[in-house]
Amino acid sequence: MPTEILSPDTFAAQQNASPLAALKKAGWEQFQQLPVPQRTNERWRFSNLNHVKLEGFSLPPAPAKEIQQELLQRSALIEKVSGKIVFADGHLLGEVSLAPELHAQGVILETLSAAAEKHPALLEQYLLKSGTDLGGEKFLALHQAYLKTGYFLHVPKGVEISAPIAVYNWLAADGAAVFPHALVVAEENARVNVVDFYLSRDESAKGFAAAAADIHAAPGAGVFRKVVQNWNEQTQSYQIDNTHAENNSTVTTVSVNLGAKRARFENAIRLNGSGSNVRLYGLTVADQDQEFDQRTLQIHNAPDSYSDLLYKNALLDRARTIFSGLIRVAPGAQKTDAYQTNRNLLLSPDAEANSLPGLEIEANDVKCSHGATTGQLDTSELFYMQARGIPKETAYELLVFGFFEEIIEKVDNEELAGVLRTFVQEKFKRRSAKNLLG
Amino acid sequence: MNAFPPNDTDSSIDIGEADAETAAAIDIDREKGNFSFKEDYAYDAGVGLNAGAVDYITDVKGEPDWVREFRHKALKIFESKPLPTHWGSKDLENIDFAKIRYYLAKGQKPSRTWDEVPDDVKETFERLGIPEQERKFLAGVEAQFDSESAYSRMKEELSKQGVIFVGPTEGLKEHAEVFRKYFGKVIPAADNKFAALNSAVFSGGSFIYVPKGVKVAQPLQAYFRINAENFGQFERTLIIADEGAEVTYMEGCTAPKFDTATLHSAVVELVALKGAKIQYITVQNWATNVFNLVTKRGVAEEGAEIRWIDCNIGSRLTMKYPAVVLKGEHARGEVISIALASENQTQDTGAKMIHAASHTTSNIVSKSISVGNGLASYRGQVHIPKSLSHCKNNTECDALLINTNSRTDTYPAITVRGSQNSTQHEASVSKVSAEQIFYMMQRGLSEGEAMSLAVNGFINDLVQEFPMEYSVELKRLVELEMEGSVG
Amino acid sequence: MSNSLEIKDLNVSIGERQILKNFSLTVPKGEVHAIMGPNGTGKSTLAKALAGHEDYAVTSGSALLDGEEIIGQEPDAIARAGLFMAFQYPSEIPGVSIANFIRAALVARQPKGAPFDAKAYYAELYKKMDALKMDRKFTARSVNEGFSGGEKKRCEILQMMMLQPKYAIMDETDSGLDIDALRIVADGVNAMRGPDIGIVVITHYQRLLDYIVPDKVHVMYDGRIVHSGDKNLALELEAKGYDWVKKELAA
Repeated sequence: MPTEILSPDTFAAQQNASPLAALKKAGWEQFQQLPVPQRTNERWRFSNLNHVKLEGFSLPPAPAKEIQQELLQRSALIEKVSGKIVFADGHLLGEVSLAPELHAQGVILETLSAAAEKHPALLEQYLLKSGTDLGGEKFLALHQAYLKTGYFLHVPKGVEISAPIAVYNWLAADGAAVFPHALVVAEENARVNVVDFYLSRDESAKGFAAAAADIHAAPGAGVFRKVVQNWNEQTQSYQIDNTHAENNSTVTTVSVNLGAKRARFENAIRLNGSGSNVRLYGLTVADQDQEFDQRTLQIHNAPDSYSDLLYKNALLDRARTIFSGLIRVAPGAQKTDAYQTNRNLLLSPDAEANSLPGLEIEANDVKCSHGATTGQLDTSELFYMQARGIPKETAYELLVFGFFEEIIEKVDNEELAGVLRTFVQEKFKRRSAKNLLG
Repeated sequence: MNAFPPNDTDSSIDIGEADAETAAAIDIDREKGNFSFKEDYAYDAGVGLNAGAVDYITDVKGEPDWVREFRHKALKIFESKPLPTHWGSKDLENIDFAKIRYYLAKGQKPSRTWDEVPDDVKETFERLGIPEQERKFLAGVEAQFDSESAYSRMKEELSKQGVIFVGPTEGLKEHAEVFRKYFGKVIPAADNKFAALNSAVFSGGSFIYVPKGVKVAQPLQAYFRINAENFGQFERTLIIADEGAEVTYMEGCTAPKFDTATLHSAVVELVALKGAKIQYITVQNWATNVFNLVTKRGVAEEGAEIRWIDCNIGSRLTMKYPAVVLKGEHARGEVISIALASENQTQDTGAKMIHAASHTTSNIVSKSISVGNGLASYRGQVHIPKSLSHCKNNTECDALLINTNSRTDTYPAITVRGSQNSTQHEASVSKVSAEQIFYMMQRGLSEGEAMSLAVNGFINDLVQEFPMEYSVELKRLVELEMEGSVG
Repeated sequence: MSNSLEIKDLNVSIGERQILKNFSLTVPKGEVHAIMGPNGTGKSTLAKALAGHEDYAVTSGSALLDGEEIIGQEPDAIARAGLFMAFQYPSEIPGVSIANFIRAALVARQPKGAPFDAKAYYAELYKKMDALKMDRKFTARSVNEGFSGGEKKRCEILQMMMLQPKYAIMDETDSGLDIDALRIVADGVNAMRGPDIGIVVITHYQRLLDYIVPDKVHVMYDGRIVHSGDKNLALELEAKGYDWVKKELAA
């Protein structure tokens, strides 16, 4: 059986068996038609397109039993959860678990394939309806063509999920391509809390991930989503998220980006209802030759809506980051409050931070602002700490971790915050070890 | 559809070469309007642009061969370059290059009468208190007015100090050595399509050289010099301030410039050598049928300072992003920009700061006002490459929206590498609050007066940067615009 | 009465809610009237409605300024007719200096195109500022921007002195002032008292009336005046509290 993802045979073989065949076919056709991103495309400005490579990745078979066991065991970064799904190399491992009381209240948590069979109408309504305005059309089309290992989380009216649902996506086999999808629908006044982990089994396997998310917050609903991307540094990662916020809904997303060789993250928020309130937090720690390419869009389509974005990037070694964010206030969306802040901390002279904060404002009674700063650690603060007897390296770490903490604490979950702190520390340790060796 | 065309950000910055893509100042000007041309000019390069027209221009001007070559090369570049695709306004596509007259010789002006000048332009002259004689000149009804003597006096005084202040034609002939060394080096013909166009057909403009250590006390005004040879449709200005020299140059004036040409595409190059200071002040108030696409860039050597002070009020579409290449250590660059986009106008302006040496500082302050369906956009670029340290940029962009259908866009691009470099960008959008207007009306001001006071207050700190007579007129002009905008 | 501010049966709503209910009051020139009352009773609404604020809809009634109807006129026309309102929360106007602001307001009162005597203007401005113990540097500062509460109120009094209104409404001018600032404001108002001006002082507390002694005191409740008397009424109110008014009304 062919497995190379660019091969029509690979596509056809996995498409035929799927209940989402028609959707996948449309995706494949779009993928064929769309050009690869060009330098002249504004939405790829500053991106290093040499790193964009689609060739050489395939759909792997399910991992061997012992690897499955290992990954299931490792999929326990947070203990207090209301549900859990584990995927590896595009296959469900074990069973989908959901707290019985949530199940009883009508909460749906299924793989996309299962949901396509059981809840076709809901999928028809919500799955992959928005496209992307941020440049990743081709990757979204490929994602759609190979849609399979996603999950569908549907929370009925008024039902609240407090402890998070944890979803683990693993890359294991060398050269594996995965296409994780998160479809989260919170009906009126529902509350949902979900964490998506993107992880690699080891540090050496090459990988390719084209993930996407559709988040829908109905009137009065609250969605709290956290994304932890920690693929290994041999991975190309693309992630295209779309969020729809209706009247008086509240959506908070925290995205922590640590892994991958090259990671592109597109996040579009559509505030369609008045009184909607969206907060976007991002933390990126970039080292070695990593490139993080972040594109965000805050679209205010309704009056009296609020959005606030804070993306913080720390850059080491020769890493690059691109933050391109746009606030768009549609005509008539009066009394909009929209804010956007990008802070880049350069910890190496060879690192490069690019910032493209944009505003397109078509209503006059608004409060909109953006700010972007790029700079180094405050030397006077370093000195102050050293003068108190703290070694320079420790002082440096304290200050850097202080920079991260503002985002980490936004996850509002001590367990998860602890995981994130550990991940970040590991990244720093790894780096010093490499430095010592180098 | 936003921001600059993608750049090759890895290229190193040098005068005239690598910065080509990083550039982005473009400038097209005026529209044809409703006036008829007489077809019997003594010197007329005809309609449309081709090698023949270029030869014609260079022949009429009696230019040396290197200029002819320069022009032809530029023409080829112009023809080969596509229109920029990522610019803000689709309006660019409405320029028909084949229908433009690229050269009208000295002293020749389309014939028209005072009666043909639109009433709103006349009224503005009236309100600004422009003397009768100057009104006719500014409206293009009369080719010259009597400022010749003032200009001659100024020229005499300057030449005593060794200052050269002439047109580019005279500059390239009479001062070839210094002219050729810098001409087309800050902004090469290949910089962008409109710079190429200007390079092919330029005529009019200024050439200024200020010798070492000479500090020119009074601002040099284009107004005086250019009227002697007509406003150029494709002006070319080159200003060189030698080591330690200082000069302020002012172009334009607050009265509407009324001309019949569709497309104005100027190129302005500034060179500030070690420790020199150049301040370039522009008040752009073209009539509202004019495309105004200008490329402006300066190079600041060690310890030098370049300031662009730019105010855009007129035109149909202005695209202008003054740039400073900070080439020597401790160089400073500044852009201070005011844009007022009224009904049916697009002011697409901004600034670029290319840091190419350590310990360089740049500052951008931009304020725009959008009235009615007017669109004001800020496009900016700040570039600090690796291997530099202790560079600083500070950028502030504030937009004021007057009506519910007004629009403003902001598209900065900031790239920072190296050590101990820092950038800070802040932008905000606000409106004049109803409470503010009520407060002022309670003191007896009409709504229009209250609005113009609030708007003038918004730009007040920047207006201070203009010379006194300009700032007073600027305020009056804003009043005029705002009074028409309410009720 | 053409030499007075005569408010008759004024009904004012904000949105759907009626605030002033058949409010009537006559303030002759030469007198200072105090309006007191609990919060939310319509005191500030009265000030804003008279000044012509568009959020305050006058559904019926009239207000004659020396015989001229001001209801329905634009705020600037009302101001030029001679009504000055000292705001409880004066707006900040960035970039517009106090000197230019007051000048613009004075120019607006002149016939169009009439010459403005800048020299006399500054002489007058400085004289008034000295009287208010304001630093002359203040003239260059933007109107109310970054001012302390006391500075804002002083700036209001300065404007009143410069614009020489026929009637002035002081909307809770005393709120947020310390005792020194209060005294300065009161001195300013007292200095302006005279046969050519009628003043309405709106206040929640009796405190201000220790410094500005009113000719008449009115108690306002639920959108109209429920009690009128001389300055002693204020003292009585202070002693008994507003509950006294409410109880009395209920009875």
